Amino acid sequence: MKANILAKKIAFFVGIVLVWQALDSANVWSDKVFPSPLEVGESLWYGASDGTLFFGIGTSLWRLAIGLVLAIVGGITLGVFMARVETVNQTIGSIILGLQSIPSVAWSPLAIVWFGLTDAGIIFVTVAGAIFAVTINTYTGVKNINPDYIAAAQNMGAKGGQLITKVLIPAAFPYMISGFKQGWAFAWRGVIGAELLFSFLGLGFLLNVGRQLSDVSQVIAMMLVIMIIGIVIDGLIFKKLEDKVMSRWGLR
Amino acid sequence: MAKLEAKNIVKYFDHDGQPLKALGGINLTVDEGDFICLVGPSGCGKSTFLRIVAGLQKPEEGQILLDGRPIINTGPDRILVFQEGALFPWLKVQDNVEFGLKIAGIPDSERHEISKRYLEMMDLTKFANSYTYQLSTGMRQRVAIARALVMDPEVLLMDEPFAALDAQTRDTLLVEMQMIWQKTKKTIIFVTHSVSEATVLGNKIAVFTHRPSTIKKIFSIENKRPRLSEDETLMKYQQEILAELRPEVKSKGDGE
Repeated sequence: MKANILAKKIAFFVGIVLVWQALDSANVWSDKVFPSPLEVGESLWYGASDGTLFFGIGTSLWRLAIGLVLAIVGGITLGVFMARVETVNQTIGSIILGLQSIPSVAWSPLAIVWFGLTDAGIIFVTVAGAIFAVTINTYTGVKNINPDYIAAAQNMGAKGGQLITKVLIPAAFPYMISGFKQGWAFAWRGVIGAELLFSFLGLGFLLNVGRQLSDVSQVIAMMLVIMIIGIVIDGLIFKKLEDKVMSRWGLR
Repeated sequence: MAKLEAKNIVKYFDHDGQPLKALGGINLTVDEGDFICLVGPSGCGKSTFLRIVAGLQKPEEGQILLDGRPIINTGPDRILVFQEGALFPWLKVQDNVEFGLKIAGIPDSERHEISKRYLEMMDLTKFANSYTYQLSTGMRQRVAIARALVMDPEVLLMDEPFAALDAQTRDTLLVEMQMIWQKTKKTIIFVTHSVSEATVLGNKIAVFTHRPSTIKKIFSIENKRPRLSEDETLMKYQQEILAELRPEVKSKGDGE
C-alpha cells in the first residue's frame, strides 16, 4: 500500500477515536449509554484474557465456514442447472429472487422449530441467507459464457459432468466470485443474527449478553470484532481470490 | 475418394420470428486430403454450413456423410477452429492445447508429449505457460490451430480463422497453413470471405450463391506451393471467382 494512503487511513481512525473520546469527555450521555474508547478496549481485554472472546470468535467462524461451504456448493449446483435446464429455470428459478429477498434472520424461527437451539439451526440460517446470492450469480455467469467456449468444448468431446466442471464453472468463475463475496457477507450476517436469537454461543451471543447485562462497552466491543473480522475475511480471502482470477483472465 | 459428403443440406435461420431459408440444399463432395475453401457473400450461411459439418447445428433437411457414414452429433473426428479462437482464458496455453486429450482420458505423460510436438510445430514452446490474454491475436490463432491438430481429426474445419489478423501475420500464417497441410495431409474445409486467401490456400474453392444458398461453382487450383498472396499466377483465378461472386453480392436485397 502506498504510504500516503496508509497515512490517510491512520489519520481517519485516529480522528474517529479522538472525536469519540471528545464526545465522551463532554459528558452529554452517561457512560452506561455511551462508553469511552478506553472502556470498550478494556472490555475487549477482559474477553481476550479469560478466553471467552476467542471461543466466541472460533464458534462463529466455524459456523460461518460450514454454512458458507454448503451455500457455495448448493448455490453453484442450483445456478448451473438453472442456466442449463430451462425447466429448472422456469420452476425453481422463478422463486429464487423472492427467496433472496428474505432477510436471513427471518429464517431463524423456522430453524428453531426444525432444529431446536442447535448448531445445525444456526448453520441452516447461514446457508439460507447465502445460497441464493451464489445461485443468482452462478446463473448469470453461466448464461454469459461465450457460446463458442461451450461449442469448442463439446466439439472436443466434453459433455455432462466434464462439461460442467472443466468448462461451465471455470468460465463462469469471474461472476461466481461476486456471488461468493455477496454470499459470504450474507452468511456472516446470518451467523450473527441467528446467534442473537438462538442465544447459543458465538459472537452474536456475546453481543446479546452485553445487552442483557446492560454492558454497553461489551456490545460495542463485539460489534467492532464482527466488523473487523468482516474486513479481514474480505481482504484476505475474497479480494485475493478475485484479484487472482481477474489477472489470470487479463481483466485487470 | 470421398472423405466427406454433404447431401442436400437445408437450414433455416430465425429472422424476427420468420423462418429464413439460409442454406437451400448444399451438395458438396470433399475428397481425402482436399484443402477446400468456401467463399460466398456475407450472410450466405457458409459458417453455418461449417457448424453443421461439425455437428454443432442440425440441418432441417439433408445429411453429412463422413467416410460414408452419416454424422449424428459433434465429435473429435471433425474439429472446428473458431474465428475468434475460442481459447479458454482460465487455462495456460499448454493446457488449452491438451484440453481435448484430457477429456479423452489420455494419460499425463502421453498428453504432454503430444502437446509438446504441436507447440513446437506452431512455434509456441516459449509460450506454453502463458495465459491467452498475454498473447497477440496471431499467437492465439496458432494456439487454436495446435489445439485442433492434437485431436488428429479426420477433417479439420476452419471458420475464418485469419479474419481478425493484421496483413503481415496473416501472410505468415497462410504459408504455415500450407506447410501444415502438406505435412499432415489433413482434409481441410476452410471458410473465408477473402478470395485471395482462398486462392492461396485451397486446391479447391467452392463459391456459394446468395441465400438460400447452393454451391454455384467449384474451382480447382493446382499451382505449386507455398503460394503467396502476391503471386501473379493466382490473379487469373481471383478474377474468375470474383466474377462469379459479384452478381451474388449484388442480388442481396436486405442490406446486411
